[in-house]
Amino acid sequence: MNALSTWTRRDFFKVGAASAAAAGAWGAFPGAVRAEGGTVNFADIGVGDPGGDWSLFTKATNGWNVNLVAIGNAPSAILNVLVAGGGTASYDVINIVGGMQKPLVDNDLIEPLDTARLPAWNRDRNIAEFLGKGTPGFNFIGYQDKLYGVPTVLQGDSFAFLPEKTGPLDSYAALFDPKFKGYVALEDNYTTAGQKTALYLKNANLAKIDNPADMTPEELKTVIDFLIEQKRKGQFRVIWSSFQQAVDLIVNKEVYVIDCWEPMVFVAKSKGVNAVYADPKEGYLLWAMAAYLTKNPKRSAEQTKAAYALLDFMLGGWYGAKITLMRGYMTNTDAPDYAKAHPDQFPADAAEKVAAITANVHRKFAQGGTWQNRWPKHVDTYETEWARFKAA
Amino acid sequence: MGALQGRLSPDAGAVLSRLLGRWALPALPIAFAVVFVVLPLALTVAVSFWTRVGLIVRPAFTFASYAAFFAGARLLVLERSFVASIEATALSLLLAYPIAYFLAFKVSPRAARTVLLLFTVPFLVNYIIRAFAWTWLLGRAGLINGLLMASGLTNEPLDWLLYSDVAVLIGLVTSYMPFMIFPLWLSLAGIDRRLIQASWMLGAPPGRTFLRVTLPLSLPGVFAAAIFAFVGCFGESAIPVIMGGVGYQMMGNSIASAMDVLNYPLAAAISTVVLAAMMGLLLIWYLAFDARAFLGMILRPGK
Repeated sequence: MNALSTWTRRDFFKVGAASAAAAGAWGAFPGAVRAEGGTVNFADIGVGDPGGDWSLFTKATNGWNVNLVAIGNAPSAILNVLVAGGGTASYDVINIVGGMQKPLVDNDLIEPLDTARLPAWNRDRNIAEFLGKGTPGFNFIGYQDKLYGVPTVLQGDSFAFLPEKTGPLDSYAALFDPKFKGYVALEDNYTTAGQKTALYLKNANLAKIDNPADMTPEELKTVIDFLIEQKRKGQFRVIWSSFQQAVDLIVNKEVYVIDCWEPMVFVAKSKGVNAVYADPKEGYLLWAMAAYLTKNPKRSAEQTKAAYALLDFMLGGWYGAKITLMRGYMTNTDAPDYAKAHPDQFPADAAEKVAAITANVHRKFAQGGTWQNRWPKHVDTYETEWARFKAA
Repeated sequence: MGALQGRLSPDAGAVLSRLLGRWALPALPIAFAVVFVVLPLALTVAVSFWTRVGLIVRPAFTFASYAAFFAGARLLVLERSFVASIEATALSLLLAYPIAYFLAFKVSPRAARTVLLLFTVPFLVNYIIRAFAWTWLLGRAGLINGLLMASGLTNEPLDWLLYSDVAVLIGLVTSYMPFMIFPLWLSLAGIDRRLIQASWMLGAPPGRTFLRVTLPLSLPGVFAAAIFAFVGCFGESAIPVIMGGVGYQMMGNSIASAMDVLNYPLAAAISTVVLAAMMGLLLIWYLAFDARAFLGMILRPGK
């Protein structure tokens, strides 16, 4: 309780007060929402839920609660929630995989962020290092020089393998290696499997691809033709489309090499399977989740303050450490320090895990690769070409 | 209404009652069907002709989405959906008809009710969980392959048991076959037994009685069951994804894929093609069979 109070002061009063003083406006301070509280409506794809525990946020904001509603992560699902479902009135914050700013801004669904109202913004060194203006990662939180998203998790994806079946692997070439014919699985997603294939083809000089993150229709056709050729040779066992399906493929040893997410390897390991998440020489597929403030002109100033308080809370140490521990993703730079400094909330092994995950993902970002592009310029062509691959 | 009738002559009141009885009561289901079925479908058809400018859909009259559908890889998906649905429906019918026949003619009504109740159990299990259960049974390390290898029938796992057309067929048949048993049983149980007895008395052997009497009289139920299964299979999206081979898709998946990039006109065009196909099937059923007779057999008591 004591430590909790200390954290609350540190994260929401001391830092916030300094920012507010600098801004010359107490009203901009996230902790300054009125004592009687209310509810911040928060739509999330399932990653941003800290186990239903918002008590620190409630305490820091003098009684505001969070109503978390799970939504799908597909662009159509998100836009349906916000447009057809009246989501801009229903939700204050949506937390999804970033890079969706174009459709969201073009449809007038999200607001630009006033980072002066986010005291933790400048503390999070990940933002400046990987997501700032002028970096490729900016596309995950910004659009046309404006900031829209608060980065909540960051990750670099590659592929997993079973070393006792394959030996050590360090290249996406493994996905297309005839030695593993029939024992390879891809994700059913053109922005992940398609981009990783493009990264491989580019690095192996097998195709001329300028930017794997935003291919021209011709470049994309080259990638899809290659995938179809591999498919017809019987290289792939299946393309998966859900977390459970991918975990089952690894755990049941249905495949030896799989284009997947790192948390799937954590689950497989917890089930006793010796799976390894690869460090490919071509680099990683980098991505970030972003929490956006929905555009609702009827939202009260007090509600907006509370929404900003939630966004700031998500950049804080406790929330970051909790999400890192639960999901296996890097969050913010406060997270490892906070976990280490609060053994009553994060036992030593948990704090070590938070630090290890953070260091590992940070290393991936430092190495680089290609940034996942959720909404490439020729997104319709991507969808059509991926349909061609699947139907072939 | 009572007060209103009190002010009218008895004849006028009777006429009003007749009119209300004739129009007011059917008006409710008709209005329901118009609001919740016809209007959404009409909107879907309309959107299929609209145009897409950026992310915005604008009213227009263009066949561009249909052209994209018929010229692209999705036509293969349509063909595959038809083939897979026909195969699954036919196989399901071959399995469901004998079961329904047995329940209708060979067991007591009490036993039939118990067995029918058991056939509702699969509906209580989430369809995604059901599909995943099949992957655990049919995988390379699954129970079936384990038994096959343990018994010496095969030396290595059969890859085609899972992530293949066969796997999709297994998934579809096991999902939709139970749906078929109910209309088949209703149709068979509703047949007037005296017709079958007359056939016997006139010297027809059991096989001929079945082919000339029982089967024709059960055809409305057969067609109803086939439609239930075919429509379900055609729109299925979970089984192809979980159990199908690399990129196996049916129409439901194709529609969802178009929706993912907010191409609503294309999704609507695909839906309209599917709708037209289904309406065609229903039209055949409507023209070929007297639905009232089928329902009459179902509703007739004491069968």
